[in-house]
Amino acid sequence: MATINFSVNGTSHAIDTDPLRRLLDILREDLKLTGVKEGCGEGECGACSVLKNGILVNSCMIPIGTCEGTEIITPEGLRETVQGKAIIDAYGESGAVQCGFCTPGMMMATEALLRKNPSPSEGEAREALSGNLCRCTGYDMIIDGVLKAAERGKGLW
Amino acid sequence: MNKKISTSIKRVDAGIKTGGAARYIGDIPFDGLLYGKIVRSSRARATIKSVSVPALPEGYYYIDAKDIPSGGRNRIEMIKDDWPVFADEQVRFIGETLGLLVGPDRKELNRLRDEVQVEYEDLTPVFSIEESEALKGGPIHGEDNTYADYRLKKGDPDAAFAKAARVIEDTVRTGFQEHIYMEPQGVVARTEDDGKLGIFFSGQCPFYVRHAVSATMGVPEDQVRVQQAVTGGAFGGKEHYPDVISTPLAVAARKIGKPIGLFFDRVEDISFTPKRHPSVTRFKTALDEEGNILGMDIDVRIDAGAYESCSMVVLQRAIFSVNSVYNIPNVKIRGRAFATNNVPSDAYRGFGAPQGLFAIEAHMSHLARAIKVDELKLKQQYLLKQGDVTVTNGRIHEEVKLPEIIQRIDEMSGYSKKLKEYTPGSWKGVGVSLFNHGSGFTGNGEQEIIKGVVKMRKRADGLVDLLVSNVEMGQGLQTTFRKIAAMVLELPVDSVVYNDPNTDLVPDSGPTCASRSIAVVGYLVQEAAKKLKDRWKESDIVEVRQQYEPPEGLIPWDQANLQGDAYPSYGWGANVIEVEVDPLTYEVTTKGIWAVHDVGVAIDEKVVEGQVDGGIIQALGYGSLEKLEVKEGRFQQKTMADYTIPTTMDFPKIKSALVDNPYEYGPFGAKGAGELVFDGAAAAFADAVQMAINGDVKQIPVTPEYIMEVREDGNN
Amino acid sequence: MVDSYRPLSLKEALDLRADTGAMPFAGGTDLMVRYRYESGAIPDYPRPVMFVNQLDDLRKIRRIDHGLSIGAAVTMTEVLDHDDVPEILKEALLTIAAPGLRNTATIAGNICNASPAGDSICALYALDAGVKLQSPGGERIEPIYQFITGPGKIDLHADEILTEIIIPEDHSTIHLFKKVGTRRANALSKLTLSAVARISDSRIDEIRIAIGAVAPTVVRSLELEKRMEGRSLKEVALEAEDILRDYDALVQPIDDQRSTAVYRKRVAMNLVRHFLLGVVLQQKGA
Repeated sequence: MATINFSVNGTSHAIDTDPLRRLLDILREDLKLTGVKEGCGEGECGACSVLKNGILVNSCMIPIGTCEGTEIITPEGLRETVQGKAIIDAYGESGAVQCGFCTPGMMMATEALLRKNPSPSEGEAREALSGNLCRCTGYDMIIDGVLKAAERGKGLW
Repeated sequence: MNKKISTSIKRVDAGIKTGGAARYIGDIPFDGLLYGKIVRSSRARATIKSVSVPALPEGYYYIDAKDIPSGGRNRIEMIKDDWPVFADEQVRFIGETLGLLVGPDRKELNRLRDEVQVEYEDLTPVFSIEESEALKGGPIHGEDNTYADYRLKKGDPDAAFAKAARVIEDTVRTGFQEHIYMEPQGVVARTEDDGKLGIFFSGQCPFYVRHAVSATMGVPEDQVRVQQAVTGGAFGGKEHYPDVISTPLAVAARKIGKPIGLFFDRVEDISFTPKRHPSVTRFKTALDEEGNILGMDIDVRIDAGAYESCSMVVLQRAIFSVNSVYNIPNVKIRGRAFATNNVPSDAYRGFGAPQGLFAIEAHMSHLARAIKVDELKLKQQYLLKQGDVTVTNGRIHEEVKLPEIIQRIDEMSGYSKKLKEYTPGSWKGVGVSLFNHGSGFTGNGEQEIIKGVVKMRKRADGLVDLLVSNVEMGQGLQTTFRKIAAMVLELPVDSVVYNDPNTDLVPDSGPTCASRSIAVVGYLVQEAAKKLKDRWKESDIVEVRQQYEPPEGLIPWDQANLQGDAYPSYGWGANVIEVEVDPLTYEVTTKGIWAVHDVGVAIDEKVVEGQVDGGIIQALGYGSLEKLEVKEGRFQQKTMADYTIPTTMDFPKIKSALVDNPYEYGPFGAKGAGELVFDGAAAAFADAVQMAINGDVKQIPVTPEYIMEVREDGNN
Repeated sequence: MVDSYRPLSLKEALDLRADTGAMPFAGGTDLMVRYRYESGAIPDYPRPVMFVNQLDDLRKIRRIDHGLSIGAAVTMTEVLDHDDVPEILKEALLTIAAPGLRNTATIAGNICNASPAGDSICALYALDAGVKLQSPGGERIEPIYQFITGPGKIDLHADEILTEIIIPEDHSTIHLFKKVGTRRANALSKLTLSAVARISDSRIDEIRIAIGAVAPTVVRSLELEKRMEGRSLKEVALEAEDILRDYDALVQPIDDQRSTAVYRKRVAMNLVRHFLLGVVLQQKGA
């Protein structure tokens, strides 16, 4: 057991736990942030994507012990930001959402992309989301959503 | 096109899902929730001699068949009831449920599960259609291992073969496919305050679950309340399987008296849940001197796995689809569903049709190659038209717009031009497929089995409750159902309240499957809305009810002989796919994907386009990437790393269009779309590859390994 | 349940390693998968775990004499973003998983996982890379082809930590990286070819060919490379079929859930042949 100090969506937490527990489980079970989903548990599907110090990571691959002093953003945090709202709107208008299980992770990957590259090409958007699997949409409308968010949200990133 | 209904609106569930606020089954808090863990058979076919459970710590339980209440049955009542809740004397596949461990800590449950000792007496298992047909180890089911054995005849096939100048034989194979709904299976069961059994689940068919649980528990159906949670994809994988896990969970919840959740790990989900039926289809086609098709003799065999579940219905659709859009004058079809000791096969988007449609498309292309004629021209020679006879001696009642569809896709894709430009075997190819899909249950299922009911209620606050049991599972029903009702009632879409169904609150409108939600239930929604509109001013609260009635003018269905109109209407489509094959690695790059469909009228263009995109990419996974091999009863690809579904990078943007063809008995003219859009892409892909490598492609998935085999060693 | 440690200096890490035998955990993406239990449960590590991703000493990419040093905790994304990293390694890294995972995963972890299908490993063989191994008592540098001894097996002593990857200056004039994956992105390898050569005045000064996932470890033949080095393209062309036959003998793949032995063998040889005949021997002056 150890005490891990980190912040999630701007709120500081000090959690006493086994440092080997997955960040995913801490977020979902301890903090009830269920916008973070578990699709595969082995870093393949991206449904558990969050930002760790601004960088996209698969929270199923991260032991909480490596999160000391870090800032985590989950879908619950991102959706309250202007950037998050822009992505949500663009996804809605583009038809990017079907069953929705992959979508919060897609939103996180989109945010990570736009922070690095505010006006991506279609190819760059596809590459940036290549670790986020979706079984419903065939991806085209998600990519449309990413490009629409970039276009509409110009200046936000 | 009815512009008003087809014009897209923003999906009602988009925002809540994207932001992570939607509650899927694993996201709902339940006080004092315990976890369940299935103890599974490690043998494919064996007699159970004994099961020895380790000493359980305080608060842990082991539940098995002995815990089923008196009056209940150790059977899962699905379409058939051969699948036991808990294996009783014999196990028939690896992963079959022996018992259920329940307790608070998942890791401890896993440890306890690994300590359960089972003594087996092994029997000889069978893992393929061929082994099953040979009755290796003695029959698993009946006397000949077939769950169903059907024969169809149209015209006079024997006479056709008697005068044939040439008979071409061909065998086409399709593999397993795993659903990979992004959200794995999950169910929660508990005893509710009013004493009812409450089931919360991710899935397609709340009333199926209610029926199965009540039968297992031996209680009236109204003593079970089933609530659907937001469902993270299903594709048929959550049509019957939730019954398989709800039933043992209900037994446990009743006995233990606490809420229990059963949530599958992805590896568990891939390893032990049902798959699409593998198939082997053998054609013999009689041709005359000029290469005209006189008749076909077709033998369809599918691997149904260890229990029958719904396999005979899947087989029906497979054999009804195996002539696809073609009017072959004389046809003989035999179809058999074989029992094996593989994980039971079950529903998967298309429900047998993709197997039949791939087989006939592949065969037609092989015929064209064999007799050296243009493939599309050969196909066009036999296109079904309005009034034509189907393989069940029913009729095509609607106008068939395939000529328009074909013209349109040719313009969009440049198919004919590319066909002339590329030389077969030059590593570049273009392929085409044509297909159709009957909307709704096969045969008389809608009127005899389902008898779907929809209710609609005007509330005192002016909102309208839409009461149906069909579920949103990603396909857009939350949006499209509301649109249908709102448009008829001339109300804003958000005036229509349509919650995830709860069996206490909604009537049984039937399951969410078979491309029936819009085509069949959507029509009931429209008709109910019309009734409500007529009676709107009667009082503050007005409730109307609408029950399914078959369209007029159909040829009655004879279930014993599978004769008559198998489906009242069909969706139609064509796909074109262009590829390049790498001569060094045999990897395929898909250069273009085109699709034109007739779904009657789109209730929402964007929703339909989303179905088209998703269906095609899922089908291209089926056709190219998604290899799932079974070895000694175990799937070899059991992680998402090894079972590879398409990513954002695997296929280019799809170009699609719709052809308007309103259907009288569909809401605003709509027909089914969800499965149709899956049906053609695998065949078009295979066709394109076979042009690129100039060799017959006879199986899916068309992997680089298989392409190498065909190209370098030949398979003809 | 096992213990875990979070040392704050390399020295502390080395002492912990020596005292407890803890497994160094950098990105951890291979370890999390290898020891993964089921959903909701802590992975089943066989030994204590020691996080090293926070150690500044291991987080640097720096130029060294005649080459580059990449710290063991540098993520793949950081390597990709660095200007001095040889192109073939970047091409290899870009084929590994997807951005989210590359933001966590490290090359050092890839090496210690020692999968014959490790894509970065294959490129490192072609770059003649080495690894620096430190212990409380000192350090040593081993070529990667000696450090990896079998599938999942490495020559790491009980008190050692892999601290740096050493990549000699890359003087190649041509290179070819080709991963044949299970799909076009986020894929595992069926096989991989990494090959580099330095050609001047129609002569092969240097050549290194590494083939991944076709044998228990990455295939590289120093002997066959020596046979080509220092000789003219014309001379090599005359012996090319012999050389290919010798490579063919080294390629001994297996069937598994990702591909077949027959496919791996043929495609690996197609790619080696293409590199030798279609790329190297096509250089100017051949």
